[in-house]
Amino acid sequence: MIQLESITRSFALGKEQIRVLNDISLTIAEGEFVAIMGPSGSGKSTLMNIIGCLDKPSSGEYYLGGENVSGYSENELARVRNQSIGFVFQQFHLLPRLTALKNVELPMIYAGVSKAERQERAEEALTKMGLRDRMDHLPNALSGGQKQRVAIARAIVNKPKLILADEPTGALDTKTSISIMEQFQELNSEGVTIVVVTHEPEVAEYANRTIMVRDGRLQSASAADGR
Amino acid sequence: MSFFENLMMALSSLKAHKMRSILTMLGIIIGVGAVIIVVAIGQGGEAMLKTQITGSGNTMEMFYQPSDEEMRANPNIFLEAPFKQEDIRALEQIPEVKRVVASSTKMSAAKFKEKSVDISSTGINKAYLQINELNVAKGRSFSAADFLGGSRVGLISNKLQEELFKGKNAVGKIILVANQPIEIIGVLEKPTGLLAFGSMEIYLPFQTWKIIYGSSDYTQVTLQAASAEQLQTAGKKAANLLNKMHNTEKSYQVINMEEIAQGIGQVTRIMTLIIGSIAGISLFVGGIGVMNIMLVSVTERTREIGIRMALGATRGQVLTQFLIESMTLTLIGGMIGILLGWGVSEVVSLFAGWPSLISWEVVVGGVLFSMVIGVVFGILPANKAAKLDPIESLRYE
Repeated sequence: MIQLESITRSFALGKEQIRVLNDISLTIAEGEFVAIMGPSGSGKSTLMNIIGCLDKPSSGEYYLGGENVSGYSENELARVRNQSIGFVFQQFHLLPRLTALKNVELPMIYAGVSKAERQERAEEALTKMGLRDRMDHLPNALSGGQKQRVAIARAIVNKPKLILADEPTGALDTKTSISIMEQFQELNSEGVTIVVVTHEPEVAEYANRTIMVRDGRLQSASAADGR
Repeated sequence: MSFFENLMMALSSLKAHKMRSILTMLGIIIGVGAVIIVVAIGQGGEAMLKTQITGSGNTMEMFYQPSDEEMRANPNIFLEAPFKQEDIRALEQIPEVKRVVASSTKMSAAKFKEKSVDISSTGINKAYLQINELNVAKGRSFSAADFLGGSRVGLISNKLQEELFKGKNAVGKIILVANQPIEIIGVLEKPTGLLAFGSMEIYLPFQTWKIIYGSSDYTQVTLQAASAEQLQTAGKKAANLLNKMHNTEKSYQVINMEEIAQGIGQVTRIMTLIIGSIAGISLFVGGIGVMNIMLVSVTERTREIGIRMALGATRGQVLTQFLIESMTLTLIGGMIGILLGWGVSEVVSLFAGWPSLISWEVVVGGVLFSMVIGVVFGILPANKAAKLDPIESLRYE
């Protein structure tokens, strides 16, 4: 599903080149549930941005679902993000002026789905997340857990192969965090590949594999521990 | 993403900041409104001036300008009416001439009971009624028999009724004009318009006028041609004919209407252009206001832009979204401006008494132009939005 070959990413800081990612090679198979951990400044966010096609590597090859996306143009990357990747963020990142339903419809608007189908699929996704009676609420009328469920519904609505979650429980209490992680587990059992970036070991426990990033390098890729 | 969806999105985001949107639109509303008003009043004024000078219905006035020799030969020539009865008959024979309107005016006293006022008394022929709009408000107009038989009847202006009869109905009353009794058969309508004051006048059939003043000559002759194209030919032929009959070189003349109308058109066009460009500047300032607000809006919505990009919006789609938003803003402003301009120019034309000319070209042009302003002044903000880095934008607080 994901194959990174010798990925490096450097940024220019004045005259100096700062290497944030250094020769990272990584393979994530389809249907895996992977946690990426590491201290802040380790480069795990940059790694996630590259996996999520929001950023391009300075060198190295990135294959997503068999496609070499490292040479893609910005418009092609936008299409890949739209079709193949679902994002879940720590701060939910819902548009405040749109209802839950309209928020979930957004990725389908950019995919060119007709209005009737959009509404049907958005309702379906929200129902799946247990938010059937919250569809017409604005985000600020929802609790943190509900907001994150709307975000998950938005991530899955275009039926992507990969869900990328960046600290998905960072703004939630323990009880809600557990239910959100269980939701990810359920999606994983349906065959969706899930990559979670976190610094909480409790969250990483839900994954079948944990990848440690430190100083821009992979430290150790522990084998699947069978949850 | 379809245009309609972009439009709906733009409308909802403009609605989210109602006050700001309305204030921004105000610049466009005033700008478009001002342009519309200037153009409408300019065109209306031009049309009014032209009809006043050329006369309505393909008419043209003849006048007599004596040469130095003629004046030396007859020092009183200006006191004599220049057109004779046979002149009129000869003019009527010219094929291009449809009607010859002839009238004579003298100042004299009008008396009712003890009250006496100075009025202008005009004898008119039958054609006069067909060209000049003597609209009778009360009573009746002249009949064919009045003209033939020289009935002692007259039409008076509203102003004269006010002066002589203190506004009471004058129809049927008999007044003395130059000490001759005349029965009033009708009172004319009050003149409309801001600048029309109304004068004290009486109109008499020419036969009657002739008897009262003992003169069968006309002071004023107006020709009506069958069509606008024939007007110049008719005028030239008429002037040549009269000069021949009176043995003068070129004392009888017609005004060249075309030249005058063109001159007026040029003047009003220049005026419209000058005032219009001032109004255009206000539109430009309004456009800068739109750009300003759109830049603020892009900064405020940095996170939204990042989210949209993460969900698969291309830079082009973000650009389009903001362009359509600024275009919607100026389009709505432009349409309100057109309505405002329309309303104001209707009111102005009502008071000034000339037609307000809102042509569909102006309306369509106004709509298109305000859309163009939205696009032109929206490009910079929209480009700024499209160039945002999605990673940075998602982090933006």
